[in-house]
Parts: sequence; structure tokens; C-alpha cells
Amino acid sequence: MARPADPNNTLQYAAGAAAAGDIESAISAYEQLLFYNPKLSQTRFQLGVLYYELGSYDMARGYFETALQMPDVTPDLQQKIADLLDLVNKKLQVDQFSGYAQTGLRWQSNASQGPGSQTTLASGQPFNSAFAAKSDWNWFGTFGVNYVHDFQSQSGTTFEATVLGYDAQQFTQHQVDIGLMEIRAGPRFALSPGNINGITIKPYVVTTGALLADVAYMGGVGGGLTAHVTVANVSLDPYSEWVQQSFRNSTFYPLASGMTGPLATYGTLASGPIGSGLSWQSRVAYAHANDQFAFDSYNGFIGDLWLPWSFSVPGSGRPWTLTPSGGVTTWNYKAADPAINPLVAANVTEWRVSLGLEIPIWQKFVLASLVQYRDDLSNVAAFAIHDLSVTAGPSIKF
Amino acid sequence: MVPWKAAALLLAGATLIANPAAAQEVGTATAVNPTSESTPPGGSTQTLTLGAHIIHKEHIHTSPSGSVQLLFLDKSSLSIAPNTSIVIDEFIYDPNSGKGHMLTTLTQGALRYVGGELSHQGEATIQTSNATIGIRGGTLTVGQGSGGTKVLNQYGAITISNNGGTVVVTMPGYEVTITGWNIPPGQPTKVTDAEILHYLALLTSKPGQHGGGQFSSFGNLACGGPGQAACPTPPWFSTNAGQDAANQIIVQGTHLGTSQTPPPPSCTGDCPH
Repeated sequence: MARPADPNNTLQYAAGAAAAGDIESAISAYEQLLFYNPKLSQTRFQLGVLYYELGSYDMARGYFETALQMPDVTPDLQQKIADLLDLVNKKLQVDQFSGYAQTGLRWQSNASQGPGSQTTLASGQPFNSAFAAKSDWNWFGTFGVNYVHDFQSQSGTTFEATVLGYDAQQFTQHQVDIGLMEIRAGPRFALSPGNINGITIKPYVVTTGALLADVAYMGGVGGGLTAHVTVANVSLDPYSEWVQQSFRNSTFYPLASGMTGPLATYGTLASGPIGSGLSWQSRVAYAHANDQFAFDSYNGFIGDLWLPWSFSVPGSGRPWTLTPSGGVTTWNYKAADPAINPLVAANVTEWRVSLGLEIPIWQKFVLASLVQYRDDLSNVAAFAIHDLSVTAGPSIKF
Repeated sequence: MVPWKAAALLLAGATLIANPAAAQEVGTATAVNPTSESTPPGGSTQTLTLGAHIIHKEHIHTSPSGSVQLLFLDKSSLSIAPNTSIVIDEFIYDPNSGKGHMLTTLTQGALRYVGGELSHQGEATIQTSNATIGIRGGTLTVGQGSGGTKVLNQYGAITISNNGGTVVVTMPGYEVTITGWNIPPGQPTKVTDAEILHYLALLTSKPGQHGGGQFSSFGNLACGGPGQAACPTPPWFSTNAGQDAANQIIVQGTHLGTSQTPPPPSCTGDCPH
């Protein structure tokens, strides 16, 4: 930039600074280029993106709006600006709603999530054939809504709520028909208002409920504390959560109440850019369930990594997103289940890999599909399962 | 002032004394639209040109058509609007430690400051006749005219002080108007879209101007085109959270159910389909 006669050098510097997370240096460089040519829509678009990343949504909107007025703006860029303007306008509201909804069909090679029908139990008790591995289809609907109320104070305090809902109705294996809902809500406080990399914390309450086999199965109430901080382009959301879960016995699950007890989870979400439309998101957590039945109590670990990659497809205004992911969950039960294997406390390790693809269809609608393979390894034969799952359906993100 | 800051300032001052010619260069004019002029301390007024070195205590003035962008050693920048007068009163910066201080006086007109190393430490200040504006962060636009001083916070924590009191603005998109040195600064209010567009137009080249440089294309650094990277998009989030949570519940339920006796062929009460 100190060699102003060389705009290409400035452009390289701006792109490099933006990629490295030095947003202000990138802004200075692009504003320099704007002096040289105020008619380039791409310069204004880049500045809009950078101010958006700073949380300066008014400035972002100003640059996006003026980018749309430039003579060289292409239909593709118009579309991208319109999408980001939609996001910016939402951020400038006092009450902000965002989220998604999806419906579709899912096929699973092992919808009942059970072992093979020839499995024998070490306890000598009969194996419940209703839970033997069987393939099936289901119809599902799911949604997630994030709500933010901006108190518009200089403390940066907001109130946030998230609602997650999911319902799946099997074609034949109705013992795994499931409906669930989770609500988390609480205020978020900025510890250093004005610092985009500063820490915010959010105490929250959580309530969950689930139907299984179309009857009430589980309810939970609790609370948690989460924080958000950005360190060198990496967003971190550590959390700890405690939920008192209550399970209800039913025809298919006559001993479910044995799982009643507190579930404590400690973990962190993390995400960051990699470059060229590629980013990463991850979740790691430790869970501890202290249930009524010792053989239902467990210590567990959860780890997942997603690598969403947005890429342009000729003739498609919006980018497609391909998301490979992989994860692992472990359950280390505290005691042997006398009805299954009275001598061995079960350990289960679930490995999963998946590939998701989101194809824009029309406006905010996408066709979302997911292929996932899960393999549960266990020292107890009845808990060793594998399942191939294919999910597809229209989805809207708003 | 804490001792390390005093020591850093003394060190930087000593550097200035030891090597005045090199140390007094505090930045570069990275874009210049005519007519823009500068007056170094003790020197004569001259037309500012692209690439000109800016020195300590330099006075910069733009005509009704002039505008300038300055890039400082700490990577901060100032975009200066037409009809604006500023003085770089102080610029002390040690690139090795990143310590120092910047003080700029805005006499009239408007500027946008985009922060660098000094402002990240809260060591950048803009002075007007109505207030002292301390910057931590930060990016802001300041206008100075007959109606007083207007401060628009774009990012960071801005502390506005005068004889009437102090107001701190921490949220982007808020502005404060100060009408006199002895009058308390107003409370932060939301910036309007019209004000943003006004200052965006003011703080860059007007139609027909090119800031002394030539720039016509992004080439492969543009986004969204064939062979180019995808444009930045809204953050991706998984829509499979419900399915994942359901899987976990079903797996645990299956663990429970595996050893249970199958339900009778016909049942009442909580029967599934």
C-alpha cells in the first residue's frame, strides 16, 4: 500500500489481509482502490463484506447499496449482494429472526438402530426382535429458529432464544417414530463492548421434550452457560450445560424411566474460514449421565468436524454447498446391564461420516441431501450396529 | 500514564531527535484528488501528490473538489473529505514494540479513520474544537462544521470528552453530536442510512476523479465468476441438528429396548401404530 502507484500490489495486500483476518487493513486497502476507481462494484462489495465482518452493518449496507448502483454489477453479484443485504437488514432490526425448515424423506438400512436379528444376549434372555436391524423409510420435518432481541444499549446486551424441532414418522418401524423439541433462551452480555473479538457470555435455561413410538418419552429442564470469543479468525463457543432428564415408561420402552437423572455436558463449538469458500466447524464435548439405573449411566465423548465448501456453478446464481463431515461418539456405561450381559459394562464407540449437498432451487429454497454412514462398535454384541442413511428434501434458510 | 508508556514515548522521542529526517515521516498519501495541499511545519504550502510522505505536524487541506487518503506507519488510514483541514499533531510509533500515540486535529470538514496498531491500544485521538475523541478499536467517521462535531462509530469503543462530560460509544452504527466544548456530548443515537450514504460519497473520489491511481479490474481476485473463488456468503449452519439429536435418543432407546420382551400382537393404551 505504501507503493500507491501499483494498484495490483494494493489489491494483493487487501486480499491477503482479509484472508488473514486483518479486516481494518483490508478496509484501508480497498478504500484506497475505491479512490482510484469508485465505479467498480466488486470494490464496494468487498468493503461491504469487510464491514459486515466488523459488525458494522450500517456501513456494510451502504457499500452494498451503492455497489448495486454501479454500471458493471453482474447479475451474479447482484444476487449475492441481495442475499447479504437481506442478512444485514435483519441484523439492523431490534427483533431478529433467522433459521431454517426442511421436510423430506429418509431411507435407512437400519432404521431401528438395532443389531442383527441373529444376535444373542449373553444374559440368556430373549432378544426383542422389534429392535432387530431393519431398513425403512420415514417422512421427516425439522426446523430451527434463532431469535435475537437487541436492547440497543451501549452495553451490547441482547436476549437470545433458539428453538429446534424434529419429527420423523416411519413407514413400518413405528417403534422409532420420534418427535423432539429443544428450547434454549437467555441474555447475552458483552464483557468488552465495542471489541468484536471481545468475550460475550450467555447464561440460559434449556427445556427439552421427546416423543418416541408416538408417546411421551423424555422431558428435561436445566440451564447452562456459554461464551463466545473470536481468536485469530477462529470463533469459539465453549459451553457447559446441566439438564435434569425424566424418562417415561411406555409399551416399547418399559424400562425407560431408568434413564431418569441429570445429564451434564461440557464442550465447545468452534469454526473458522479456510479459504476459497471452504470453512470448518467443529464440536467437542464431554457428557456425564448419572441415571437411576447404574447400567444406564455413562460418561461419553462427542466430536464432530464439518467442512462446508461453497462453490459457484455456472448458470446458478447462488453457490452450491458441499459438506463432508465426520464424527465420533462414545458411551462408557458405568455398570453391566444384567438383562443383556451381566458380566460386561458396555462401551460403545460410534463413528460416522457424511456428505451433504445443498443445491439452490429458487430464492431461499435449496434441495438439501445428506448421505451418512454410522458404525457403532461395542464390546457388547447387542449394541454393535451400522446404518446407512440417505436424506433428501427441500429446505429453506431464512 | 503508566511507566512503560512513558518509557516508550521517551524512546520514540529520542529516536526522533537522533534521526529527525527518517523518523518524522509518519505516513504516505496513498490517494490524492486535486486540489489537496499540505504544509509541513516551517515549510511552504505545496500541492499534495500521490506517494508523498506525510510528516509529523503536517497540515493538510483539501479544496471543494479535493480528497485524500493517508496511510500511516501503524497501518491505520485517514480518508479526508473535500473542504477539510487537519493537522497531524503527534505521531509517535515504534514499529518494534507497536507502541506510541497519534493525535490529529480536525479543524473543519470530515474524515474517516480506520484503525491500526495504535488505535488497538487506545492510543489514537482526534481533537476538534468541541471534543476530544479517543479511539480504541476502531473505525469511525468524524464531521466538523458549523453545527458542531458529529462522531459516527463504525467499530470499536469511542470515548468523547469535553468540559461538559464524557460519553462512550461502543456499538457500531451509533453517533454522537457535540455542539460546544462546554456542552455535554449528546447521547448515542442510531445513524441513519442517509448519513451513511452521505459520508460514503464524501469520503472517496467523485465521478471523473481517480485519486491519482489507475485501477480497472479485480482479475482473478474477483469472486463468483468462472475460475474465481466463491463470493463470501452468509455463515453456513447445519440443518441436521434435529436428525443428529434424534439418532442419539433412538440409539440409547434401542440399547434399552433390545432386551425387552416384544409387545403383544394387540394392545391398548400407549400402542404405536
